[in-house]
Amino acid sequence: MAGIDTGVSPLGMADTLRLFVRLKLKLIAGNVRGDLTRKIGYIFTLIAAVFVAALGFLAMSLVRLAPADLAADIGIIAFTVFFVGWAVVPLLAFGLDDTLDPARLSLFPLRTRQLAVGLFAASATGPWPLAVLIITAGAIVGFATGLGGVLLGVAAVLLQFALCLVTSRLVTTSLSSMLRSRRGRDLLAVAAIFIVLLAQLPNLVINRGLAGDPAALLAQVAEVLRWTPPGMAAHAMADGSLTGVAELAFLAVLVVVIGRLWIGALRRALVTADASTQAGSVRRSHGRGIGRLLPDGQLAAVVTKELKYARRDPRGRVGWLASIAVTGVLAFSLAGNSEGPSGPVLAIGPACLGALMIGLQSGNAFGIDGRSLWMNAVAYGSERSMRTDLAGRHLAAALIAGPLLALLSIVTSLFAGDLAWSVPAMLTSWGLLGVSFGIGAVTSVIFPYTTPDRLNAFTGAAPGQGGIAFLGSFGAMIGTGALSLPVVLPVLFGVTWLSVLAVPYGMAVAWAGRRLAGTIGFARFPELLAAVSKPT
Amino acid sequence: MVDSVRTQGLFKRFGQQVAVAGVDLVVPRGSFAGLVGPNGAGKTTTLSMATGLLRPDGGSAEIDGLNVWRDPIAVKARIGVLPEGLRLFERLSGRELLSYNGQLRGIPKAEVERRAEELLKVMDLLDSADKLVVDYSTGMRKKIGLAAALLHNPNVLFLDEPFEGVDPVSANTLEEVLRRYTASGSTVVFSSHVMDLVERLCDWVSVMSRGQIVAQGPIGEVRGERSLNQAFLDLVGASGGGGDEEGLSWLGSTQA
Repeated sequence: MAGIDTGVSPLGMADTLRLFVRLKLKLIAGNVRGDLTRKIGYIFTLIAAVFVAALGFLAMSLVRLAPADLAADIGIIAFTVFFVGWAVVPLLAFGLDDTLDPARLSLFPLRTRQLAVGLFAASATGPWPLAVLIITAGAIVGFATGLGGVLLGVAAVLLQFALCLVTSRLVTTSLSSMLRSRRGRDLLAVAAIFIVLLAQLPNLVINRGLAGDPAALLAQVAEVLRWTPPGMAAHAMADGSLTGVAELAFLAVLVVVIGRLWIGALRRALVTADASTQAGSVRRSHGRGIGRLLPDGQLAAVVTKELKYARRDPRGRVGWLASIAVTGVLAFSLAGNSEGPSGPVLAIGPACLGALMIGLQSGNAFGIDGRSLWMNAVAYGSERSMRTDLAGRHLAAALIAGPLLALLSIVTSLFAGDLAWSVPAMLTSWGLLGVSFGIGAVTSVIFPYTTPDRLNAFTGAAPGQGGIAFLGSFGAMIGTGALSLPVVLPVLFGVTWLSVLAVPYGMAVAWAGRRLAGTIGFARFPELLAAVSKPT
Repeated sequence: MVDSVRTQGLFKRFGQQVAVAGVDLVVPRGSFAGLVGPNGAGKTTTLSMATGLLRPDGGSAEIDGLNVWRDPIAVKARIGVLPEGLRLFERLSGRELLSYNGQLRGIPKAEVERRAEELLKVMDLLDSADKLVVDYSTGMRKKIGLAAALLHNPNVLFLDEPFEGVDPVSANTLEEVLRRYTASGSTVVFSSHVMDLVERLCDWVSVMSRGQIVAQGPIGEVRGERSLNQAFLDLVGASGGGGDEEGLSWLGSTQA
């Protein structure tokens, strides 16, 4: 009889588990193979994970020193934060982990249940999941009471871990088809901004003194969060009684239900068509924009393109939104601070910080162009073209930042109590912006790095370029700070008339920066091109 | 007559690996030249170095007798490039991409718009001209890339794998545009590993293997009596092991 001998037999559960764990470990190993910088980067990640795990475990166990109810409150909040973090972080970092996308596995002869077990195991493997598990386990030392509490504690920690895993799987799987489309990713990239904002929240609360008594605030928050699933896990552990057992039973059921939902979503995701080929949006290309006002040529081309990118590229949008948001928060919280300095400093300080924030974005001017920069490279034949290119980028950024800083100056001076202060604030911040452009032009050509297409909240550079990115932004910050001292310092100390000089000074530094960057940048254009075209 | 492209001892190493080991590429003016070779032969690296996008570790490259690295202004005005991959400004529409390109090269805006409109029409991209490039298909991206490379009317056009992943209709459009372009006396250099295509389009061929040119000349000479494909396989020293008895014995239906 003629037949096909496939020579394979179906995998058992334990085999599947082992297979996926090995796959994940291989992927991690493959990521760091070859490249020394990647290896070093990964070693640092490992050290960081061990450090965080140890510190977290210690911190959680030290909660024991606090009064029992306070300890429970802290535990409840900590568990909820882990839970939310685990659900959100993989989304923002989608693509960091190859085992996350079920579509890559859809051609293998695996049953959905096997796939689910495998993906579950794979997502529990790795330094960070283990670190979180260890930190969570610290809670057993931290606030479990009696033998019952410890037993419940172990169960609670495991359930909390499982809950985090299945929830994050459910979230990524249900959104995975959206995440594979261009629009979905664009949307998510902009959503990363909310994480930035969220990080500012505690700062805001403390600065504005909204809470009054922190312990009372903690208790209030914990009282609400106690009824969330992760809150229940923490509560069960601290409680150690029959209520705790009931809570854990509920959690176990919940894990199974979410697990089932996830399997369902997985089944759907594997057979649903990819939505990424949907028709694209149509733009009005015959722009009547600002480029029309400029003399025809390179400068107009670069300005027009940069302004479009600030609006259309998610990275551009995120950059500008982040600057606006952080500056706004800063102004708001500084103004609410009754004890600090008073006078024009209150208006000028935030405006200058805003200018610095915006200016630092130009510290890697070619990063966003990335792999498309060759188009400029084949067109530019002289240092002059390079200078014009940088001037175009500066002009475009100034067109957005100028009015923004003016508005910020007016707002902060209103907060500070005297509208007249907005004039020196505006002038000084514009000057500072110019200085940061000049420095940024130089760092852009000396420390260029690739800005990843898929922006996430954790890395701002392509794998292996973290060090250069750090040097670049640090250099830009130090350089801008040092070079702007001559005008900013006297103005901050009350010699406000000196702010008249800020704008011409800033423009001079920007011009000098472009001059230097043009010479350096043109000479090493191929290297620059290679540095911003790294795979991400 | 000066050759359009002439490189001498072009050399490039990435870490331990020598990607291009002394390439003497010659392309006479007005030819439709194919640069062929297996994957990893160094085609892309050679083209990148000849167009000034990658700095060679040794050797020189000349376009129309002008040194690529010493005379960049004159060289860059003479060449049009479509590099490997589809690296374009994704967030511009096709039309915007063309006008950005033209303006960067100092062509007056009105002229850029006139040329862009004609190119879009020839490339059959008018309907998608206002869509963002990020939403373009592979064929559309190759076509808009070629349009951008042609916009300043270069003397020499370098195309890295222009037909890869392109549907037959778009490929036909690309072919027609390129034929018209070379018929006027301009030069095209393109890399490919599709021998049939090279055989049909080119009058000049350079064969690369392991970082070196192993044969170069008018296509008839290189090919001899064989098909180009056979000549290529002989030149790069491919061993025909596909028909051997040993190995792969489990493949195919088994007789019981």
